[in-house]
Amino acid sequence: MRQAEDLILRDYVVSAASVINAGGGSNNDNPTNLGVSDFSLVASTLDTNNAYKFMSGIEGMDRFGTGPVRSAYFMLSSTELQTDFDGLTGQGFLSQWNYPTNASALPSEYGSVFNIRILTSSEAPVARASSANGQDVYYNTVLGKQAITHINQDGYSMNLIYRDPYYSGMLAQNATLAVKFAQSQAITQDTAIRNLLSTRLASLGV
Amino acid sequence: MTEYSRMAKGTYTQLGGTLGSVAPNVQVINLPFKPDYVELINLTQAITPAQHGIPFAYWDATSLVTIGGVVYNPTIIQIFNNTPVLTTDSVLTNGISVFSGGLSQQYGATQQIIGITKASQARVNVTAHGYSVGDTVILQGIATSVTNNAFRLINNVPFTIVAVSDANHFDINWNTSQSNYTAISASPTGALVKKVLYPFLYLPEDNVISAITTGSTTTIANTMYHNFEVGQEVAFRIPTAFGTTQLNSLPNNVIPGSPIYAYVTSITDNWTFVVNVNSTSYTAFNTNPSSVSVGFTMPQVLSVGDVNTGGNIITATSPLYPSPQFPTSTNRVSTINGPAIRGAFVNNTAQGFIIGNGASHTDTTSWVGGSTNDVIEWRAYLHDYSSP
Repeated sequence: MRQAEDLILRDYVVSAASVINAGGGSNNDNPTNLGVSDFSLVASTLDTNNAYKFMSGIEGMDRFGTGPVRSAYFMLSSTELQTDFDGLTGQGFLSQWNYPTNASALPSEYGSVFNIRILTSSEAPVARASSANGQDVYYNTVLGKQAITHINQDGYSMNLIYRDPYYSGMLAQNATLAVKFAQSQAITQDTAIRNLLSTRLASLGV
Repeated sequence: MTEYSRMAKGTYTQLGGTLGSVAPNVQVINLPFKPDYVELINLTQAITPAQHGIPFAYWDATSLVTIGGVVYNPTIIQIFNNTPVLTTDSVLTNGISVFSGGLSQQYGATQQIIGITKASQARVNVTAHGYSVGDTVILQGIATSVTNNAFRLINNVPFTIVAVSDANHFDINWNTSQSNYTAISASPTGALVKKVLYPFLYLPEDNVISAITTGSTTTIANTMYHNFEVGQEVAFRIPTAFGTTQLNSLPNNVIPGSPIYAYVTSITDNWTFVVNVNSTSYTAFNTNPSSVSVGFTMPQVLSVGDVNTGGNIITATSPLYPSPQFPTSTNRVSTINGPAIRGAFVNNTAQGFIIGNGASHTDTTSWVGGSTNDVIEWRAYLHDYSSP
């Protein structure tokens, strides 16, 4: 039931935060697919704006196939971009499986590129067929710790409501199952958040 | 079976339209549900029968008809003939329809762009575009194969239409009457436009700037409705190529790390506002680049701080629970939301039904919305049992 809150916050961020178009990719669209320089640009922008990173780094260990992970901002991306991230292996992308330790990795974490750790979700925002060349545009939200917040008004968080049929109608035929919540969202520091817009290089599976 | 049915009714006075000759404006009715049945009574037409008048109309979500192999969900109407005696007809498209603008962006059908002319407000040529002033569209496939045509800038930018000169042309707020713009013509492959169905789900939003007039105060023109109120605190994101980077909130060369913000001091119109920045010595804003490479980012202005437009002050003359209204200059429409917290963004998700301006099937100069000043009563239902 928390998904409803997440979707509202997602669309609010898409509407209210400023954007940077990816230009480091090779597909000649606007925005382009993600290139490693786009990750550098956004991280540099947030660093310049004194945003707080979410995660401290992971020190390297003597384990085959692993590498150290920098302190990082989070980027919220679509699962449809995972093939593009894999394509950046060797250029800067480090799969979560190749972290020295997975202790601090989140379940949805796909990997990292330089100072950005990537979380993927099928619910990430996509504007279909809307790039310059008519391709899908992905909103990759990169944020520092102080960027956004979520307020339960009057402490009124998500309530799951169940009324059995006896209480839901005169004829006791139907039950009621619902959720309700009173919440608002806020960008607490606009300089600490950017939507990195990109298209996709790889074909989408069906 | 009425446990979960929903019913609503109301009246409105029609704007625009002349009986038998000019289509009325589209009317949007926001509701807390998406109805499956709507009926209209045009009180004005019912009381004073006249040819082309439509006193009664009915629409059912499950009533479909096939005409010429095409499936329609028609609006059934009662209409006065030339006697005038009441008879029946239908509106096959753009009669009564429902909508639900919720999460994520939804687009209308794509249409081929025939051309775009060079003008202070670019004029887009699309056959029978069907758009109105206030509709928001995005364009794509414009000069994408060349780098030396500045028309390339307008791809994937939301534009709220500023003028509709005729059924085949509309104007957008971008100055293409400059040296590095080469007019678009001959229906380029992939040059398309489509309507953004619910462009302002959360307000105020991140805006693309189309022009900046520097001076003792600074005037900002945008590609779409800015939805700012006087007193709004705003921040700028202007890439170097567009010139006026001194407005940017960061970096601040005087106090490093301290963002520079501005305040809206007046609203010129739904696209334009003025901020309290003396920009006399700033670099001129430039939308005439000689080369446009891929990956460019457009100049933007967005709301920040705690004085967003979510709440309206309750005064002695205001409604007790004033809903936020958008856009913020003219043609303001209340959202379905109640009074918001001062400083909150407005959630503008909405659902309800639309009374369109499609002509009736047989009498092609009659419209279900009637004509200007008609008083129309509507009733909307969502049934908890429907067969089918």
